[in-house]
Amino acid sequence: MAQLKTVIESPLSAIGDRFLQWSAEVGGMVVLIGQIFVRLNPFKLDGPETWRNMYRIGVKSFPIILVTALLTGAIMVIQSGTYIQQYGAYGLLGWGAGYSVLREVGPILIGLMFSGRVGANNTAELGTMKVTDQIDALRALAIDPLGYLVVPRFYAMILMMFLLVVVGDFTALLGGAVTSQYMLGVDMELFAWSIVTYIKLEDLFHGLFKSIAFGFAIAVISCHFGMSTSGGAVGVGRAVNASVVGSAIAIFVIDFIFTYTFL
Amino acid sequence: MIVVDNVTKYYEGRPVLENVSVEIPEGTNLGVIGPGGCGKSLLLKIICGLVKPDKGTVEIDGVDVHKLKPTELADLRFRIGMLFQNYALFDFMNVADNIAFPLRQAGETDEDEIGRRVQEMLDAIDLPNIGHQYGRELSGGMKKRVSFARAVIRRPPIIFYDDPTAGLDPVTSSKIFLLLRDIRDNYGTTSITISHDIEGIKEICDNFAMFERGRLVFHGTRAEIEETEIKIVRQFWDGFSDDELNV
Amino acid sequence: MSTSPSDTLDDGSHEAPAEAGFFARMLTSVGQPIVELYGIGKGIMEMFFLTFYYLIRGRKRWSAIFEQMHEIGNRSVVFIAFTLGFLGMILIYQASFQAMKITGDLQLLGALFMQLLWREFAPTITALMLATRVGTGMAAQLGSMVVTEQVDALKMCAAQPVEYLVVPRFIASVVMTVVLTLFAVLVSYLAGAVTANVMFNVNYLTFFNFSFVSWFDLIIGLVKALAYGTAIPVISCYAGFAVHGGSAGVGRATTQAVVYASLAVVVLDFLISGVGFIYLIFLA
Repeated sequence: MAQLKTVIESPLSAIGDRFLQWSAEVGGMVVLIGQIFVRLNPFKLDGPETWRNMYRIGVKSFPIILVTALLTGAIMVIQSGTYIQQYGAYGLLGWGAGYSVLREVGPILIGLMFSGRVGANNTAELGTMKVTDQIDALRALAIDPLGYLVVPRFYAMILMMFLLVVVGDFTALLGGAVTSQYMLGVDMELFAWSIVTYIKLEDLFHGLFKSIAFGFAIAVISCHFGMSTSGGAVGVGRAVNASVVGSAIAIFVIDFIFTYTFL
Repeated sequence: MIVVDNVTKYYEGRPVLENVSVEIPEGTNLGVIGPGGCGKSLLLKIICGLVKPDKGTVEIDGVDVHKLKPTELADLRFRIGMLFQNYALFDFMNVADNIAFPLRQAGETDEDEIGRRVQEMLDAIDLPNIGHQYGRELSGGMKKRVSFARAVIRRPPIIFYDDPTAGLDPVTSSKIFLLLRDIRDNYGTTSITISHDIEGIKEICDNFAMFERGRLVFHGTRAEIEETEIKIVRQFWDGFSDDELNV
Repeated sequence: MSTSPSDTLDDGSHEAPAEAGFFARMLTSVGQPIVELYGIGKGIMEMFFLTFYYLIRGRKRWSAIFEQMHEIGNRSVVFIAFTLGFLGMILIYQASFQAMKITGDLQLLGALFMQLLWREFAPTITALMLATRVGTGMAAQLGSMVVTEQVDALKMCAAQPVEYLVVPRFIASVVMTVVLTLFAVLVSYLAGAVTANVMFNVNYLTFFNFSFVSWFDLIIGLVKALAYGTAIPVISCYAGFAVHGGSAGVGRATTQAVVYASLAVVVLDFLISGVGFIYLIFLA
């Protein structure tokens, strides 16, 4: 009887444990959001620190994001290509590729790359500082760690995510155009015309608002896991892992919410 | 016989080890002392081929260590036991498997034999019942002893001890040095011991070398180091500074 | 691409660079990444060949392989189910909406979705998710082992780190990526079916239409999954072994692993899709 009890209990307790763990993390993130917004009023923003972060994020992520965007555009065109060829709907290629890139694939893929390049890096930096007691050292020097470290990164990440998606969208469409010309034989002009004719501004904005939401989520998640790291080098690795996994889940959930609400 | 010839190693432009030459005849025990961070551990790693020097060579029994192919290097390593400063116990296996690891790597498949020899080692290091535990559950002294067991279980002819008693209390330290003396007395091994524990090293080593800022400043027998006039060496050996420190 | 903790405590006061300095910096900022990338690329190729060598010639430790398969597979199932489930819902939602506006006919929705899942979304998105979860995991694990000298200890016990640590992870990853891709197709498709039914009243029987899927699609999907499953462990393990510098190094390595693995997935996706397309159009 006792054995049966454990057989039933252990998976349930495992699930329950997991759930409590994740709830604790989410709770921590909500607290962090609160702490960040408290520092909005009065508006104290470490300007130079924010600029520095933006610069570093930009330098680090632009090349990779651009390459990803180019390839993404190309892939979307290739995938649509077979259907376009089948139905001879060359005039719809730009629309098909453009619509999916601007609304979905662009923000999602760029978001995932951003979470990997910038989010993980952010968690790693903050995490290392936490396990080497640098955060406590800041406090001992009467510097507010959240105001000095977290808030500038938070704004920098949201802003850069937005900019990256703007540039990334354009680059992806460029990649798509080039691919459509050289692999499908659909003229770039036709491609561009198709985009301009069928894509509405609302499609673009849908993707951009999503990207801001993604940036927000990635910023909060990466800072949360970074600041709550413990356990030395191993802990830093675990924190980065949690950060990217959490960001990925958040991206898809937010995307679904946006899609459902704004369609 | 280990021959270190003019080994130099740079790190970010600065020499961490400079023109180090030392010979360790077979069956002798060299004690290495010196201030922290002056390249002692690095020298040990260069000697067993884990790190390549920028200049100079290391020969073990006439073979240039850094010219060996991976399989030959592996064969050489069967003959060297290494006790790491930070234990380096494998955290994904328990104590018994850690100690048994060199045996299994050498191709031993008889599980009874492995079990017997592991238990023999556990008894020798006075920790007969911890075989099933994992490294993270043990204290520093216990981890050091397990690491020692793993290093010597195959009775290698050459053993390197990197700071065997770092951070341990006096009682545990003397236990460790007893084990080292046991090995020296019973197996005629060639060994290099790095330590800050001068009393302990005095017991088990015949020759001594002192490093300072990557250079060899003394190399000689126990008699020679007792008589030496070199100030830095005297300070280390006697353990106090009567006037300003030279380091 | 490498940072140190002290970097972030920099108070930001630097001298203004002279004109020549700025230009030189521009060139460096373009040239340096290329040089770095070349070094990293070489390292990854070396790791790949070493892994293959030991895969064929080395001893296989089945217990380690199964352990890794559990670590990669079982522990990613929920994550994959979640993300690909949502993806399925999103894609069907978008597609249905657009189709309703243009043709009002959702007959072929299920068929088309299945084809796209196999060709593109299931293998690629699964691989991207695995690159994040498994990639960081492997890099962190191996990186920690480097930092605590366990890799040196392995060498001193006459074990080869690549054979002992990388090969089991490699085998497990290739197998599990394929398995999880299959799982992803299932989950995503079901999620899509439910969405289509609940939101757009598409009959389940109409939705479950596999007529579009050909051998070609299955092969492309499988090839992608295999390619991704190969790339992710090699890149992540390389990043893990290249760690230096304590916890900061481990942080750097995990970031590198996820970025380069994700990039590799996108590049491989492009290459395989391209080749597949050329085959379809010109040779089939």
